[in-house]
Amino acid sequence: MKKRILAIVLALVMVLALAACGSSGSGSSGSGNAGSGVNLTIFNSKMEIQSQMEEMAKAYSAAKGVNVEVYYSSDTVAAHMSTKYASKDPYVLSMVDAKDIYSLGPEHAIDLSSEQWVGNTTQAISVGGKVLGFPVCVEARGILYNGDAIKAATGKDFDPSTIKTTADFQALIDEIVAGGMALPVGLQKEDWSLGAHFLQEVYELHEDPDAFIAGIKDGSVKLIDDPVFNALMDTFDVLKAYNYAKDAPISAERERTEMMLAEGDLCFKFGGNWDWSNMVGTNYTEHLGMMPVPCDLAGYNERLVGGGSKYFFIDNTVSAEQQQAAKDFLNWLVFDAEGQEFLVNTCALVPAFSNITLPVSDPLGSSVKAFADKGALTPNYNYAPDDHYAKNGASFQKYLAGQIDRAGFADEITAYWATAEVGAH
Amino acid sequence: MKQNTLGYKIKQYLMFAGPGTVLFLAVVIVPFLYGLYLTLTSWDGVSAQKPFVGFANFAAAFADSDYWAAMGRTVIYSVFAVILINVVAFALAYLVTLGIKGQNFFRAGFFVPNLIGGIVLGYVWKFVFNRAFVAIFGGTSLLSTTNGAMFCLIFASVWQYAGYMMLIYVAGFMSVSAEVKEAALIDGCTPSQAMWNVTIPLMRSSFVQCIFLSITRCFVVYDVNLSLTKGEPFGSSVMAAMHVYNQAFTYKNYGLGQAEALILFIVCAIVGVTQVMVGKKGEVEA
Repeated sequence: MKKRILAIVLALVMVLALAACGSSGSGSSGSGNAGSGVNLTIFNSKMEIQSQMEEMAKAYSAAKGVNVEVYYSSDTVAAHMSTKYASKDPYVLSMVDAKDIYSLGPEHAIDLSSEQWVGNTTQAISVGGKVLGFPVCVEARGILYNGDAIKAATGKDFDPSTIKTTADFQALIDEIVAGGMALPVGLQKEDWSLGAHFLQEVYELHEDPDAFIAGIKDGSVKLIDDPVFNALMDTFDVLKAYNYAKDAPISAERERTEMMLAEGDLCFKFGGNWDWSNMVGTNYTEHLGMMPVPCDLAGYNERLVGGGSKYFFIDNTVSAEQQQAAKDFLNWLVFDAEGQEFLVNTCALVPAFSNITLPVSDPLGSSVKAFADKGALTPNYNYAPDDHYAKNGASFQKYLAGQIDRAGFADEITAYWATAEVGAH
Repeated sequence: MKQNTLGYKIKQYLMFAGPGTVLFLAVVIVPFLYGLYLTLTSWDGVSAQKPFVGFANFAAAFADSDYWAAMGRTVIYSVFAVILINVVAFALAYLVTLGIKGQNFFRAGFFVPNLIGGIVLGYVWKFVFNRAFVAIFGGTSLLSTTNGAMFCLIFASVWQYAGYMMLIYVAGFMSVSAEVKEAALIDGCTPSQAMWNVTIPLMRSSFVQCIFLSITRCFVVYDVNLSLTKGEPFGSSVMAAMHVYNQAFTYKNYGLGQAEALILFIVCAIVGVTQVMVGKKGEVEA
C-alpha cells in the first residue's frame, strides 16, 4: 500500500514538473521570436478568403518588417476562441462575428475609439462607449435573382424595383411559370439560413426589436397576430410553394442551389452576397443581383437587411508593439491603396468604409453596395442568444417540410423565448 | 545490490512505468479532474472568470429536455447499431474463415471502410443517400425524414464498424481448434448444432470484446453524426455527444456541457461494464 501511495506521489510530482516546464517554455517562445520583428498573428474566420489572406501576409510581412501569420479554423468562431483563451495563447488580431464582439470584447479587446477610421464607417461596434470592433465588410440579406433566367421565361427585361409586395412577386412568378419554368425558387434548409437570416428579419423589421422580443417574452405580443411576422411568412409561403426541392426541401444542398441560380436554372433564392463565393466558380450568367424580400410592409420592402459582418478586435494582453502593429494593419486596409485593393478586389468584399471608392467586383456585392450607399440597409439584430438559430432553425425546418403550420411555428418560437435571454448590449 | 530496498523499487518503477504513468496522468487523469471542477462552474468557455455555482449545472442537465431526447435517440441508435454490427461482423467472419478462394482479399476489403475516417465516410454516404439513391430509385432522400436520417446513421455505422469487428471474430473462429469441432460432428452434431453449442460458446470472449467496443463507440458517436446529418432534419438526429458539443461550445454553456458529458460518460461506463461483467461470467474454456 505504502509503495502505491509513494508511486502516485512521485508521478504527481513529475506531472507538476512537466507542467512547469510547459508554462516557462511557452513564455520564452513569445519573446524569442521578437528579435526578428513584431509578431502579428491574425485569426481569419472567413474561409473563402484564407488563401488571399495568406498571400497578403507574405507580401505585407516583407514590406512592413512584421511577421504576419494568418490562421483559420473550421470550428465555430466562439468554440475556436474559447480554446485559444483557455490555453492563454490569444491572437493579436481576431476576426469574429458581430455577436462575439459583445461577448468577448469587454473582457479581451482594446479600445479603438481614437483610431482615424472610426469616422469613416457607420458599422463599427461599440460596447460601453468604447469602439471594440472593426468592420471587415458589409454583408446583406435579401432575394438573389437571375435576371437572364427571368427574361428567358417572361421575355421582358427584369427590373427588381418593380417588385415590392407579395402580390407583385406572386404575379411575376406566375408569369415565369407560364413561360416554362415550373419551380423557379431555391430555398436553403440550413438552420442558420432559416433561423438566423429569415426569421431574424421578423425582429429586424420592427422599429424596436428589443421591445418586440420583450413583448413575446411577457406575452403582450402574440406572434401569430403580428403583422410583420405574417407579412414575411406570406412571402415565405410563396417561396416555399415554388421551391425546386419542395418534395424534399430538407435535403436541398446549398452549393447545388447556388449553382442552379447562377447558371439560370432558378430565378430566385433567399440568401446574401456571401453566396457569391460558391457561385463565382460556376458558369454564371450576366445579370445577377439582389433585391429586398418582397412583402406587404411599406418601406421595408425597399431595403436589404444587413450591415457590418465579421469584425476584427485587438487583444488586450499582447505587447504594446503587437497592438500597434495590429492597428497599423487596420489602417492599411482602410487608407492604403494596396490595402483597399486587397479588401475589394482580391477578397471581393464590400467595404464598410466611406472613403473606399473602388467599384465592387461581384454582382451581388455591387447590389449590396448600391443599397448601402443610399442608406437602404436595415441593421442586423446581433443580440439573439447563441442557441437561437439552431433551435428556431429546427422549428423553421419543420415548417418548411410541412410538419407544422404557421400557428405551430409561432408557438415554438414563443416557447423558445419563454426561457431565452437576449445578449448584453 | 539489494533488491528489496525502497530506493531500488522506486528506480525500477520509474524506469519501466514512469513515462507511462506521467503521460496517463497528464492526458487522462488531470484533464478529467479539471473537467470535474468545470462542471461546478458557470464558465462560458472564453471568460477569464469561472464563477463557482455548485451543483446547479447538474440540476440544469437533468432539466434539459433536449439533452434527454438526444440521449434517448442515442440509446435507440446504439441498440440497433450494436446488434447489426455484430450480426454482420459475425456473418462476414464466418464466410471468410470457410476457406473460400481469395479470403484474405475479402478480409482486407471488408476492413477497408474502417480505415476511412468518420467525417469522410459521412460525406460519402451523404452523397450516396442524397444524390445516388434518389437518382436510381427516385423519390426523396432518406436524409430528409426523421426515421430515414436515423436509418442512414445506423447504416453508415454498421458499414464502418462491421469490418473491424469481423477481424476480432475471425481471430475467435481461428482460436477454436478444429479437433473440438470434429469431435462434436463425430458425436452426431449437425454442423449448425456444432456452431451453436460448441463454436459460439468457445468464442464468447470475442463477443464480449466486440459488443463492448461497439457499445462504447456508438454511445459517443460524433463524426458520422456531424458529417452525415449534422443533426438534421429539425434537430431530430442530434446524438448525445453532438448535443454536448453544441451546449459547451456553440451555446457557450461550458459548465453545463461538461456536466452533460460527465453524465454521458457515466451512462456509457455503466452499460459497458455491466455488459462485460455479464459476458465474462459465462465464459468457458475448452
